[in-house]
Amino acid sequence: MRPVRSWRDVLTLVGFLTPALVLLGGFTIWPAVWAVYQSFTNKALTGFEARSPRFVGLENYARLLGDPDFHSSMLRTFAFVLLSAVIGQTIFAFAIAYLMADRPRWRLGFTPLFAALFLLPLAVPEAVAALLWASTANGTEEGLLNRGLGLIGLGPVEWLQAHAFETVTVVNIWRGIPFAMVLFAAAIESIPRTVLEASLIDGASAWQQFRRVVVPILRPQILTFLMLTTITTFGIFGLVFFLTRGGPGNVTEIIGIYIFQQAFQFFQIGLGSAAGVLLLLVLLLLGAYYVWLMREQV
Amino acid sequence: MSDDLEIPPAAPEPAFRAASGQPTAPQAGVRPGRSLAKTGAYLILVALALFAIVPFSWLLLAAFDEQASIFVKVPSTWTLDNFVNLFANQDGLRLIVNSLIYSGGATLILVVVATMAGYVLSRYSFPGRRTFMLGVLLIRVIPPTAIIAPLYVIAASLGFLDSYYGVTLVLASWQLPLALWLMKGFFDTVPLEIEEAAWVDGATRLKAAFRVVLPLAGPGVGAAALIAFIGAWNEFLIPLVLISDPDKQPIALGLFRAYISYTQVDWGFLAALSVVYVIPAVVFYVVARRALQQSVAGGLAGT
Repeated sequence: MRPVRSWRDVLTLVGFLTPALVLLGGFTIWPAVWAVYQSFTNKALTGFEARSPRFVGLENYARLLGDPDFHSSMLRTFAFVLLSAVIGQTIFAFAIAYLMADRPRWRLGFTPLFAALFLLPLAVPEAVAALLWASTANGTEEGLLNRGLGLIGLGPVEWLQAHAFETVTVVNIWRGIPFAMVLFAAAIESIPRTVLEASLIDGASAWQQFRRVVVPILRPQILTFLMLTTITTFGIFGLVFFLTRGGPGNVTEIIGIYIFQQAFQFFQIGLGSAAGVLLLLVLLLLGAYYVWLMREQV
Repeated sequence: MSDDLEIPPAAPEPAFRAASGQPTAPQAGVRPGRSLAKTGAYLILVALALFAIVPFSWLLLAAFDEQASIFVKVPSTWTLDNFVNLFANQDGLRLIVNSLIYSGGATLILVVVATMAGYVLSRYSFPGRRTFMLGVLLIRVIPPTAIIAPLYVIAASLGFLDSYYGVTLVLASWQLPLALWLMKGFFDTVPLEIEEAAWVDGATRLKAAFRVVLPLAGPGVGAAALIAFIGAWNEFLIPLVLISDPDKQPIALGLFRAYISYTQVDWGFLAALSVVYVIPAVVFYVVARRALQQSVAGGLAGT
């Protein structure tokens, strides 16, 4: 790396960075700033308020805070994140990755095959993932899950009607957990074998080794992954929208769907922006911690 | 090597070791505790593998079924008609071409933009460089979901609604933070000395960058391009909001709109289209798994 010395360096630097700055600025930073501005207006998608929105101060925020639908949507999103990202994709995935990983005195066969299969759910686009589950979790007797239940004399269960929230949570775990496991297994295998062997010689049980050696060593990686998966799960839209469109009623209306509906189905761009700004605040807070974790990597 | 290390310590604690399922002697042939644990582990892995792949059964069966439905069933007559229809049918072909235009265009833009920026970020030190990199990382946490309303308004004011070129630009911008980080990382792995040698031989800086550094960072450019392509290929919300013209929608939207038209869903068509939609994504995962593991985790695995 070299310092910028001449005007020519400055020109190169500015010239090479400008296109990236324009793209980033134009379609992510500018909309984020514009969201804050619009959240103070009564901008609508159509009609008079679309052309000449009025400044309404904190009215949108007051409406959100007084809207039970917004509260329940936020709570639902937190539950969705906790269950699928934190518990499913991080804690559970890490535990299973420990089973999969090669380590002293523990070696399973076929792990590359398992890893390949586990990658498939994340490899498919959201739209296809949703379609697959629309079929698998179909609520009639002919749905695949219900046929399975029928074999042991249970069901049929109306997965996407009576248990829609649980079902979309499981679908999201399905999508994220396998890849998380493969990542974690690679991280566990990157721990020097001698360290693990030493703990075994000292008489540690598998659980003690896991709890006292593996987890503390990989703490930074686990935290980084946890933050990343938490952040992306807050932003999930397509998978759930495709499957349920937020319903039935609004039991699967996570915050992304709430924002979409306010802005594009009820035409309240201002209110949708305000909800987006609140989501953005949560994410930037989590993001700041994520960036702090990653600060060594620059 | 590990066998040498399995010699028990001088003063083993028998009760403790038995409880933990460790052999007390290295030559112990049968380890009932261990093999039980392994059987359990295999059962868990097999169960999870089934969980991962069973939902795919509909896709693989329905795509080749003459009378496909939403239900999983073995076709009474296997057929390729669904695929023939997909490509013979104007709508099907158009969806595929549209997706290729958006993703291909976004990838092209990204490769150029991220390569340029990644190069100078890797090669020059200037005040604010670190802050810039961390800022880009922070931008990465913003999902389209949070700012979709203003994004729509801005895109509309720029005339980007239902515009190939506008939607492509927006899609590219969302993939940029990740691509930028990846490219900078790849350039970091090309030693500065190689570039300096080219300068000594009389090459200008720009020439050295193009002729010497870029080819060495080539695999990195390829990986970043793949990741960008798939990111744009999979995107659902941005097209949903920015595109209403059925002639311009990508596959994701086509699937969604066909699926919600409850009355006359052509399941065979839907499944065949899904297969075509999935193939690039799966191929990509096979090819780019390593790069992806590092990018998703941001240096989680092994670094």
